[in-house]
Amino acid sequence: MSKEKGAISLTDDEIIEIIKLVEESDFDELHLETENLKLTVGKGLTCPHDQGAGLSQTTQRQTFVQEEPTPEKVSQADSPTGAMTSAPDTRKAEPEPPAVVEEEGLIPIEAPLLGTFYRSPEPGAPPFVDVGTAVTEDDTVCLIEVMKLFTGVKAGVKGRIAKICVENNQMVEYQQTLFFVEPEE
Amino acid sequence: MNKLSRVLIANRGEIAVRIIGACKALGIESIVAVSEADRSSLPARMADRSLCIGPPPARDSYLNVNTLIAAALGTGSDAIHPGYGFLAEQPELAETCEKHHIAFIGPSAKSIHQMGNKLLARQIAEESGIPTLPGSEKVRDIKGAIAAAEKIGFPIILKAAAGGGGRGMKVVESPDLLRSVFDTLSAEVQSAFGDGTLFLEHFVPNARHIEVQILGDHFGNIIHLGERDCSIQRRYQKMIEEAPSPVVSPQLREQICEAAVTMARKIKYENAGTIEFILDQDNGRYYFLEMNTRIQVEHPVTEQITGIDLVQEQIKIADHQPLSFSQESVRFRGHAIECRINAESPFSGFQPSPGRIEQWAPPQNSAIRVDSHCYAGYFVPPYYDSLLAKVITSGDDRSQAIERMHFALDHFTLSGVESTIPFLQLLLKRPEYLSGKIHTGWVEKVVLPEIGGVK
Repeated sequence: MSKEKGAISLTDDEIIEIIKLVEESDFDELHLETENLKLTVGKGLTCPHDQGAGLSQTTQRQTFVQEEPTPEKVSQADSPTGAMTSAPDTRKAEPEPPAVVEEEGLIPIEAPLLGTFYRSPEPGAPPFVDVGTAVTEDDTVCLIEVMKLFTGVKAGVKGRIAKICVENNQMVEYQQTLFFVEPEE
Repeated sequence: MNKLSRVLIANRGEIAVRIIGACKALGIESIVAVSEADRSSLPARMADRSLCIGPPPARDSYLNVNTLIAAALGTGSDAIHPGYGFLAEQPELAETCEKHHIAFIGPSAKSIHQMGNKLLARQIAEESGIPTLPGSEKVRDIKGAIAAAEKIGFPIILKAAAGGGGRGMKVVESPDLLRSVFDTLSAEVQSAFGDGTLFLEHFVPNARHIEVQILGDHFGNIIHLGERDCSIQRRYQKMIEEAPSPVVSPQLREQICEAAVTMARKIKYENAGTIEFILDQDNGRYYFLEMNTRIQVEHPVTEQITGIDLVQEQIKIADHQPLSFSQESVRFRGHAIECRINAESPFSGFQPSPGRIEQWAPPQNSAIRVDSHCYAGYFVPPYYDSLLAKVITSGDDRSQAIERMHFALDHFTLSGVESTIPFLQLLLKRPEYLSGKIHTGWVEKVVLPEIGGVK
């Protein structure tokens, strides 16, 4: 980590934590600027720099993150140590789906809980999805079972299943990537 | 080692580090369950494997019985160590372990349940001939409460049967206060514990908190490892503990330790446990308070003066090994003190101070032990308790242990978050602490008002 006064670098874990805090708050956006970093986290309807990913529209609000190094920018904020400023909003915060980070154009579907992964609604039945299956946000792609309690996992994104990352009957951890989806443009 | 070869640690922070260390010493594989906030924590890096069980909030991760059982089954773990706090004293985890043939490194669900109900625990103590404070049965309404309180004599303490550890209790000095407090406490307790049962006990103003460590194996052998004095508290949270107690005579020690063993035998207790007593310094009498069916935060002071590794013993007991030592072979040597270092601002009402630790250099020498999960650069998450480290010093006698603690705290380099070190330094220099003229209300009623801090 940088030791220069006012300089901050963030690990992925910290970014995740910041996202969660913003998601759970009533705030819509967070802007953080320091000597070497500009970070924007927000709950807007579109991600300004991102054309793809189908993030827009009223049915789905996504959390977006931009992180840019700003080598020349001197922090002009109230506090020289890079304190956070945020834009409070009076609208009530809704529960948000987890932040989406693109990887080579594919979008991961992550396990919302730890448990046993099942590809089919019941043993012997055909799987919910295969590679190539077209999915929309509300389609169930798999089940995760914890002590006989089954949870259906929704795709959360529109596109085609590109990759299946877990085997049937395997234990998955919280946030483990289950599938990759090639999003629809 | 007989059967246990893989343990799932269902906890975090310094106790997870402690348990993983004990597993390593015994040649056992350690798997630590982590929430998202603890993915890159020290326990996660020390264990043979870590697995992410849920988002940061404890109720979605460390408090989720089903998820922990699924994690144990999914990783082929033979046992679960619950640590302290979280699910350690929830019978549900122990029960579900039993159902799935996973060893629970702790007592039976039945013992947890019996001692978890503080009214039932009191009744069992009475039946065992152990002194208990003048108290009542369940009080159903304000009328019953006032009648019971007048019989016992004010001040009384109103307690939740489902509470314990300082939770769900309120000291009440007069009938009017009792009137105003009863319904609120009942509702709070119902909401917090799912059981609104309240009872009353006499409140001892000039008390010391004396607790006895016991170990019981699977074969009925129960021994004690002496007492600890945990009288330095704020809002029922212990700040400084020591072993042995500076005010317990050998005769009193024998009586209290025997009472503790009697209690454990009565309920056929297995694994590590602690029986807590109130010592009334005005009349020299001791009274049963409650029993904690888990390893305690302050267990290191007992380890330092007995040379016995309590967490390793817990694992061995769960593996159905008989205790490898007898009561007669237990030796007490010297004196040990523990200070809990919390990420709190002691001069701002002990406000929590999560955030990134910049400098972290605990003191180190042969008489100092530091139990911690922290390191320079570690981000102390806001979701859990604020314990950063436990500093334990040992000496041939109490004054040497105190001197060493002065040194240890003076040489603890810590920046980035606020800590309680300055407050502990202050307490350890006060004449009352040095001469032993303190009681459980000392910090809140004497020290804090004097230094002008917010209580």
